[in-house]
Amino acid sequence: MSIVDLTSMAQSQTELRNEINERLAKLQNEISDYCFQCGKCTAGCEAHKLLELEPHKIVALTKRGLIDEMVNSDVIWTCMSCFKCWERCPQKVAPIEILNALKNMAVASGKQIPGQYTSMLQSILSIGLIQDVQEVSTHDNKIVKRESLGLPPISKPVDAAKFQMALTKLAVEKV
Amino acid sequence: MDKKIGVFVCHCGINIAQTVDVEALTKYASTLDDVVVSKDYKYMCSDQGSKLIKGSIRKHDLDGVVIACCSPRMHEHTFRNVVEDGGLNQFNLEIANVREQCSWAHESKEEATKKAKTLVRAAVAKTRMLESLTSSKIAVTPKALVIGGGIAGIQTSLDLANAGYQVSLVERSPSIGGRMAQLDKTFPTLDCSSCILTPKMMEVSNHPNIELLTYSEVIGVDGNIGNYTVKITKHPRYVDIEKCTGCGDCAAACRMKGRVPSKFDMNMGKRSAAYVPFPQAVPLKYTIDSEYCLFLTRGKCGDEPACKTACIQKAINFDQKAEEIERKYGAIIVATGYDLMDPASLYEYGYSHSADVITTLELERLISSSGPTSGEIIRPSDGNKPKSITFILCVGSRDETQYPWCCRIGCMSALKHVYLLREKVGEDVEINICYTDIRSYGKGYEEFYRKIRGIKSNFFRGRPSEVRNMRDHLKIDIFDTMTNKLFEIKTDMVVLVPALIPRLDANELTRTLHLSQSGDGFFLEAHPKLRPMDTFTDGTFLAGCCQGPKDIQDTVSQASGAASRAETILSKKELEIEPLIASVDEDLCSGCSICISICSFKAIELTEEKDGGSHAVVNEALCKGCGACVGSCPSGAMQQKGFKDKQLLPMVDESV
Amino acid sequence: MKKYALYPGCVMPTEQYAYELSIREVLPLLDVELVDTNGFSCCGEPMKSVNKMVTLYLAARNLAIGEKKEMDLFVPCPMCHFSLSECKHVLSNNNEMKERINGMLASENLAYNGTSEIVHTVDLLHDIVGIDEIKKHVKKSLKGLKLATHYGCHLIRPSEIGRPVDAENPQKMESILLALGAEPLYYPEKLDCCGAPILANLRESALTKTGQKLQRIQEQKFDAMVDVCPWCHKMFDSRQNKAGETVATKLEVPVLYLTQVLGIAFAVNKEKLGLNLNNSPVNKLNL
Repeated sequence: MSIVDLTSMAQSQTELRNEINERLAKLQNEISDYCFQCGKCTAGCEAHKLLELEPHKIVALTKRGLIDEMVNSDVIWTCMSCFKCWERCPQKVAPIEILNALKNMAVASGKQIPGQYTSMLQSILSIGLIQDVQEVSTHDNKIVKRESLGLPPISKPVDAAKFQMALTKLAVEKV
Repeated sequence: MDKKIGVFVCHCGINIAQTVDVEALTKYASTLDDVVVSKDYKYMCSDQGSKLIKGSIRKHDLDGVVIACCSPRMHEHTFRNVVEDGGLNQFNLEIANVREQCSWAHESKEEATKKAKTLVRAAVAKTRMLESLTSSKIAVTPKALVIGGGIAGIQTSLDLANAGYQVSLVERSPSIGGRMAQLDKTFPTLDCSSCILTPKMMEVSNHPNIELLTYSEVIGVDGNIGNYTVKITKHPRYVDIEKCTGCGDCAAACRMKGRVPSKFDMNMGKRSAAYVPFPQAVPLKYTIDSEYCLFLTRGKCGDEPACKTACIQKAINFDQKAEEIERKYGAIIVATGYDLMDPASLYEYGYSHSADVITTLELERLISSSGPTSGEIIRPSDGNKPKSITFILCVGSRDETQYPWCCRIGCMSALKHVYLLREKVGEDVEINICYTDIRSYGKGYEEFYRKIRGIKSNFFRGRPSEVRNMRDHLKIDIFDTMTNKLFEIKTDMVVLVPALIPRLDANELTRTLHLSQSGDGFFLEAHPKLRPMDTFTDGTFLAGCCQGPKDIQDTVSQASGAASRAETILSKKELEIEPLIASVDEDLCSGCSICISICSFKAIELTEEKDGGSHAVVNEALCKGCGACVGSCPSGAMQQKGFKDKQLLPMVDESV
Repeated sequence: MKKYALYPGCVMPTEQYAYELSIREVLPLLDVELVDTNGFSCCGEPMKSVNKMVTLYLAARNLAIGEKKEMDLFVPCPMCHFSLSECKHVLSNNNEMKERINGMLASENLAYNGTSEIVHTVDLLHDIVGIDEIKKHVKKSLKGLKLATHYGCHLIRPSEIGRPVDAENPQKMESILLALGAEPLYYPEKLDCCGAPILANLRESALTKTGQKLQRIQEQKFDAMVDVCPWCHKMFDSRQNKAGETVATKLEVPVLYLTQVLGIAFAVNKEKLGLNLNNSPVNKLNL
């Protein structure tokens, strides 16, 4: 009474599958048993041609419980968040939400967060925004910043300490 | 008034016995006043069960029977017959529903048994007050009304007419034939649709027992099984059909020639305001479209309407008015058909922004030699021959955002089209089919699918995300789950296979015909497996796609079935009406008429009394036993037989 | 006078100054008052891949600030607009989550009740200000200007949670541009993504998306591209050269914010609209 994927020798990880179910249920989407692999999501996926992301395959693997394989993969980080898979799916599956859950699980399990996400998070913690005020150059190569353009000061959390504390506590919470 | 009541408790296998302690219930029943015998059995509705009941009636000379079993909707009819067979008037039976309302709805055996005891106690209380009732009889009108002149309506009419009954076939368009007349060929035999349909249409037209009422609509239905009174509107054709020879001179002369979109051709072609929908129309009589005719819409068409001038028979008559007729029928068969979903609601498939994205029915008209292009397959945008044609199946079907159901015929129509296109356009045209599943379930269907796989065409298993209009061609990306590759298809024409949906005016029709709809909007059958042609309105039956999508052979089967069902009514001289209807105690009735104002079926009248007063009288043929008048009667004079206050109130006492 | 608290997000106030400049110039002309409010933070959307709880919290706190000030929020960035919309959607359907979030918000003296409405530039202009009002202010017709509209992804999808513009056939920008006398035209790539969400981790692929769309727009001989999102504009305008390198094409497509186009039609001073901050060759347009 077991099902084993012969290429990876992995068995169905039911607890992990239930965890994804739980995460999604809290956000109103449910892991979709209803997917019948029509592939409409992958056909329209903005990340597919360049990065080989196959949303329908992600859903199928999740249904099978082969979560580890995906959580440890790089492909889940290729999603462009275009929402076309959610919009056009005839069975109301939202592959993007499953991908988000997988990414959250990868982070929570201590996997390294790719690219600039870490520095964005650190910036939010310190100034409330993903980046600080930047210098840009005009068409005729002058350097300008927010102030020099006469724009009012930037909006930031009023009590930085309280904001940071609330966020730090949050960062370890699961959805 | 000492009654002798028998209580019979059914186990229903484990359906009741698993949750209700049936032995305890039987024992409990025997302790109740007036209960002289109390028995239980595994399946009370079986032969053994009925023998048990009948035996007990005779042995104990019972004058009241309580059966604790399933819902009366299931077997009240059966048990009534058993009781009558046992020698006791069948209306001395009361059913205690200890299944749907007890064992199936609860989990705790203790609580369920307690409830079952209460239900039985209440049923016994009512039975003490039950009275024998006799059914009255009504004469049956041995005529049938068939609404809808497609293949379903045609088949039903012919079956009934050939059995010797008079039939009126009402069709709202100017000709019968329906969807099948729009088809070129039918699957899987590839019969020419017109060739197999037209003989039936002619038979209808010539049959002495069939009154064909085309360009007419049913606008009101009153009465009930065996005795319907129906109002039909005959729309004005503005052509005298006695004089019209179907020559077509009016259409040729019409000033709107080539400017009116042809609904029959799915708006792919144009016609005149004076028209027949298609050349093999039955009846072959012209009609003037009041929506487009210049004379009818603007009051002026040249010096004299062109059709009038052209018609040698002098058949044009703009003074015609709509005519309302009233007829009586014993049975009604509804065969109003289906509509196709408008693919514009799936905007991404390009139907709204490219003329070269068409539906299967539109393609059918292109393929048809009597269609708008005389059978030439050309791109609607520029009239060029396409070098590549791509089908997308399941557009709007099996789709939670559109219509969840399978359209049943989409796969087979698409396969048929592949075959017909190959025949017409030759080997060089690329034909692509994007499918989710191929459902080829019928007789000869899977063999047909194999045949089509042998015709060089490209099957892709998947649904495209969108159809892009690249101006000189259409582009489709499809992920083919068979090869796990993304393919880009550059194509000249896209054919969408849209969902089959209920007729857009189905809601109004349900009100007129007193029908129910299932969740999907199609008309509701009484039972999907065992009574697929009956409705919950006795005497009204369903045939064809109005009940749910299906192919022609299932439609014809259902149509013949519906005719047979109707014949069970029409073959009788009279029907028994169930006596569980309202009745007035004339002594108590003051003639206040509140009940008359409440009754939706106009079944109550006021009658004068000799001494100047008046009281209400119920017309037993019209009363449907809904009980609204009973509830409204301030004096209690109006009672419902079988549900009188003196029968129901003791039930309440026992229950609380 | 319609009054909104301006919720700027992160990208617009820290680098996409042209958007903010043109908004502050144009909206008051249409009788819209923007109130600068302190206390806002990132909307959380860039963090949803990392921890969706953080995203929900950040979105909720910004909505709660608007509530505290008893004002609706004008949200010029579609990514922010999506984050706030999704937060509203989740919290209105899930009481447990709402209580949990409110429990955390309490430590910042904030509470979320869902009473603040949010609006983006496009629906503010089209639905609230209205086309007739916009027409009244047109001083310079943009006749003959062939424009490619770019709505982006977060503004129009997923329709299930409610978006201000139709997902498959968005037309609100077209209506506005027609009112200015311009010629917005259909093109098959209209709904394609700019690539911004993966700029953080897959830079080259992101730029490829940008480059491919610009390439197609250039091939179809549009005069300019119009967008309504600081992330999209960052890709199409600020990174146009890099995108061109990535797809090996010389790209010379003028890219403007919708509010800049409005400003031009209203004859507002070009510098005030930040037109000198656009990296793409907007001077080609001779406006």
